[in-house]
Amino acid sequence: MDAGLTQSEQRELEGRLQKRQVKEFMNVFGNLVDNCFNSCVDDFTSRALSGRESGCISRCVTKSMTTQNRLGERFAELNASVTAEMQKR
Amino acid sequence: MSFLGFGRSQPTSAEKIAAVENEYKVFAEMHSRMVKVCTAKCVDRSYREGDLSKGEAVCLDRCSAKFFEAHQTISEQLQKEGAARGFGGGM
Repeated sequence: MDAGLTQSEQRELEGRLQKRQVKEFMNVFGNLVDNCFNSCVDDFTSRALSGRESGCISRCVTKSMTTQNRLGERFAELNASVTAEMQKR
Repeated sequence: MSFLGFGRSQPTSAEKIAAVENEYKVFAEMHSRMVKVCTAKCVDRSYREGDLSKGEAVCLDRCSAKFFEAHQTISEQLQKEGAARGFGGGM
């Protein structure tokens, strides 16, 4: 990834990556809502979330964040080892 | 498709930035797909608990490793078959 960027190029890149990170976060957020809603909510006899549904959603969010972190770590490790493999060749 | 050939000595500023940004995009997308797929395969959807069970955690670890390997295998095979059928370009 080392492209030998100047300072102003570096700044431009950082700005773009920040935008992408925000977009990525919105993506994660969207998937989270979809997943937790689909998994937890199925009772439409009332307009308000039931206690059961709220609890389920809360646990779903906690678990999803833990999953996200764990997979993030695994992803970085796997990526690093693949990169190392490729550089050996 | 890149037209950076041996004739040109240096990629332009815009090309360098775009290359790094694109690499980030590729990784971010792959990460996102991996999370979706491995969550579906490993995490119990009843959400009776907020913590990952040991079984789920181990499943996630193995799923991510398999996902990477599958990604590589598919990529290599596509390149081979693409080359055999006469398509150019890499992944």
